[in-house]
Amino acid sequence: MAVDFAGTYLLLVLLSSLLVNFVLSIYGIFFKPHFTKKVIALTILSDTLNTFAIYIGYRRWLEGVNPRPPVLTTTPTWESITEFSRRAVDPLPQALVLTAVVIGLAVTLFLVFLGYILYMHYGTLDMREIRRLKG
Amino acid sequence: MSGMLAELIIYLIMAVLGIMSTIAVYLAIKERDLVKAVVYSALQSSFYAVLYYFLMAPDIVLVYLPVAVGLVPGVLLILISKTERWEKNEAS
Repeated sequence: MAVDFAGTYLLLVLLSSLLVNFVLSIYGIFFKPHFTKKVIALTILSDTLNTFAIYIGYRRWLEGVNPRPPVLTTTPTWESITEFSRRAVDPLPQALVLTAVVIGLAVTLFLVFLGYILYMHYGTLDMREIRRLKG
Repeated sequence: MSGMLAELIIYLIMAVLGIMSTIAVYLAIKERDLVKAVVYSALQSSFYAVLYYFLMAPDIVLVYLPVAVGLVPGVLLILISKTERWEKNEAS
């Protein structure tokens, strides 16, 4: 019972630190004036959302035995599939996050080249300056 | 009983990784030198990679580690070297 409570407490610490990361990256996107800082905050935001998705698929330890990665290493039999469904974590969020990581990389590369074009056009990357110059 | 202790130790490692990633995110958002901000962001990404390993997602670790610790900071450093390095003060 005490072990259950302590485990829940520690996972809650992890979850709340992820929430603080989320809020900090939102603050960085909206209130930091520099373009590069906004891009950095956007990558942190997407990483934090991916971590939330993986955390949803995680499963607590069952009777002192750790959860397994969702991989079947042998030819599936009835016993191994039963064992898999009892112990393995959810594979669906991991598949989605794998796609999201790659798409996030593409978006970041696009924003980096957009920033370079902005710098060639305006001579600065400070968003307040760019708003003042207006083309 | 030892299994339960191991469970608590794993959860403790995960909580410590979360808190350290929060510290890295705070430093990355607060920092005015953008090169240091990129380095703090890479530090946060490596904490997240270890966290994914403990959340039983080794395939994500294999993709996430080269992308978020290697490629994205490298491209951002190229952008910073082509443009400007310092974020100006809010007052000016």
